[in-house]
Amino acid sequence: MIIFLSTLAIFMIASSHSADRKVYEIARLSEEVKEYRSAFIDGRSILMNLKKESTIQKKLAYKGVFPSEEPPKKIKVITKE
Amino acid sequence: MAIKEKNILNRLYFVAGCMFVFALLVAFKLVNIQFVQGDQYRDLAEKRTIQNVDIPANRGNVYSADGSLLATSVPKYDIRIDAVTSSTKIFEKYVKLLSDELGKFHGKPSSYFQQKIRKARANKNRYLLLARNLGYTNYIKFRNFPLLELGGFKGGLIVEQSTKRVHPMGGIAQRTIGYERFDDQGNVTRPGIDGAFGEKYLRGTNGRRLKQKIGKGQWKPIGDYNQIEPQDGYDVYTTIDVNIQDIAHHALLAQLELYEADHGCVVVMDVSTGAIKAISNLGNNGKGLYYERLNYAVGESHEPGSTFKVMAFAAALEDKVIDTATIVDTKNGVKTFYGRKIRDSHRGGYGKISAARALEVSSNIGLATLIDDNYSKNPKKFIKRLKSWNLHKPLGVSIIGEGLPDIPEPGDKKWSKNALPSMAYGYNLELTPLQTLTFYNAIANNGEMVKPRFISEVKEFDKQIVAFDKVVMNSKICSEKTIRELQEILKNVVIRGTGEKLYSPNFSMAGKTGTAQTEYWMDDWNENKRYVSSFVGYFPVESPKYSCIVVIHKPSIEKGFYGADVSGPVFKTIAQKIYTDTPLIDEVETLEFTNAAVEKDFEAYYMMAQTYKTIMPDLKGLPAMDAVTLLENMGLKVKLVGSGKVTSQSVSRGTKVKKNQTVVLQLS
Repeated sequence: MIIFLSTLAIFMIASSHSADRKVYEIARLSEEVKEYRSAFIDGRSILMNLKKESTIQKKLAYKGVFPSEEPPKKIKVITKE
Repeated sequence: MAIKEKNILNRLYFVAGCMFVFALLVAFKLVNIQFVQGDQYRDLAEKRTIQNVDIPANRGNVYSADGSLLATSVPKYDIRIDAVTSSTKIFEKYVKLLSDELGKFHGKPSSYFQQKIRKARANKNRYLLLARNLGYTNYIKFRNFPLLELGGFKGGLIVEQSTKRVHPMGGIAQRTIGYERFDDQGNVTRPGIDGAFGEKYLRGTNGRRLKQKIGKGQWKPIGDYNQIEPQDGYDVYTTIDVNIQDIAHHALLAQLELYEADHGCVVVMDVSTGAIKAISNLGNNGKGLYYERLNYAVGESHEPGSTFKVMAFAAALEDKVIDTATIVDTKNGVKTFYGRKIRDSHRGGYGKISAARALEVSSNIGLATLIDDNYSKNPKKFIKRLKSWNLHKPLGVSIIGEGLPDIPEPGDKKWSKNALPSMAYGYNLELTPLQTLTFYNAIANNGEMVKPRFISEVKEFDKQIVAFDKVVMNSKICSEKTIRELQEILKNVVIRGTGEKLYSPNFSMAGKTGTAQTEYWMDDWNENKRYVSSFVGYFPVESPKYSCIVVIHKPSIEKGFYGADVSGPVFKTIAQKIYTDTPLIDEVETLEFTNAAVEKDFEAYYMMAQTYKTIMPDLKGLPAMDAVTLLENMGLKVKLVGSGKVTSQSVSRGTKVKKNQTVVLQLS
């Protein structure tokens, strides 16, 4: 009886500790998620600024590359069924 | 007193009695604490270790029409240093290197930081700020700096993380995207979309959960469910097009800088749906730099000046009191109305011109005469017409803080005999730029007036929560005939009117210039003239896709102030960019073309290739490409001199050739 009760007690203590460990783990992981999210937004923000026409225009000005004055032409073939 | 047994006993009783009383007191206190004050203390204990913790909801994002992020919440980092914790040896080894890195990062000399950190160490400062509001990339950089990389105990690194609302596009459209900010007194400021939709969609609701303290500053949830589930905020999709926004922002910025203006705004609107594709509001910070300061386009009502002439003209046309051919005498550029002189900007005036021409050249006298002649007996009729277009009421856009328009009517404080002729050319009344644009958009949209809108839908991940469709304010502002006539005049303004400098043969646009005096009621106006330059219109003329307004306040007079000079170029840049970004589509029925000339050439070549196998053909006039193929197929080697067509050949025609013989061809 005593052995059973003490095993039970040990088991309870162990599981409560493992629950605590999980809480720490979750806190750590959610911190990590936040960091990755932050990294993602940071990267995306940099990309969005690089992608802007005005930035590209500035970066290519020294090469003498400018946006075209004429719109691009598309040739569309109409296929008849 | 002699020592007797009785005496000793008495003393013993006394001591025992005291102890008993003391024990009673203790017991009483115990009972008191346990039962009388027990609940209070138990509560207190619970509060220390058990807490109902708020689970913050994530605020939704604001997206552009193409899914680019305009506003989102991200963690930001403040980096501080505990200057005392590191040992002298480590500190001396790294402080110089750290200062170098900090100097490089902040663009300041390294010595500045070294001094600052050393001073902090001397003053025992354990909380010295090194950088604020860092993004993730920079945060990682800081974590790898010398000294700081050693961590909290050895190096003294202190990181504080907080969630901040950021605009990944930077300063572009910041005022319209907006934010929601709470100050210490609980007051909220809510500019823009983020502000207007914060409470309703973006914010979400916080959850709640019981948690128990378990050490290391962590709390463990009690039970496996939340008391209240947190509900994340919805995402808001705006109608803003990042490309057009970028173009508009930079076109406006360039012009504001060139003309050293006080502030300005641009709005680009989709003609058929009223979706705002771009909105930029830039103001001077007093040092020549421009920022998104206030939402001028939505919030600032002002006297529109000449852009209002179109409304006045439309009213007269629609009331059938004039037609486009009505002759109006603009005199020699000055005319007196009720004791007040009205002037035209063109010296010498235009003389007698048609009403349509008066609008094209933006004659103040022309419009004032037309309106005064036809409405002075019944000004209410004119006002009623303007009101039928909702010009006297705010548009009711979703952004908070819309400017109030002001259209006076007889009986108002602002009304006088001169009010009517003044209103004809856009004074003595107030409109916001967005209102003016809405009217012009209706002209472009063949009379259907649509409400400008900033958001298209609200989503929870991929699930649509609310969709915002176009709102028609007035399905037909005036007759088809009036619309056609107005469209024609607006087209001609750019071809031969006040906007002719903007004309481009490559792409079409229509619009109206405006140059209004502002603050003319101030005493110093004559020494320091101030104007509001505007241009409003739409493009392309044939089937209008976008309408656009540009308003620039107080450009530098020495550099120019006319609407066509200051605001027009911004409009043109935007129109041109959108034109060059939209591909022209040529449709073809089939790819199987038969070109007679090509067929003939090929036949001739084929014949030649079939005929000549060992005998040199006459190559004169043949393109080099054909000649080479022909000869190399015969097993000859070809040398070309020049380029183009064959003029002479080294081996004359009819000669029998051997394999690998070299033939030189002269080309021209």
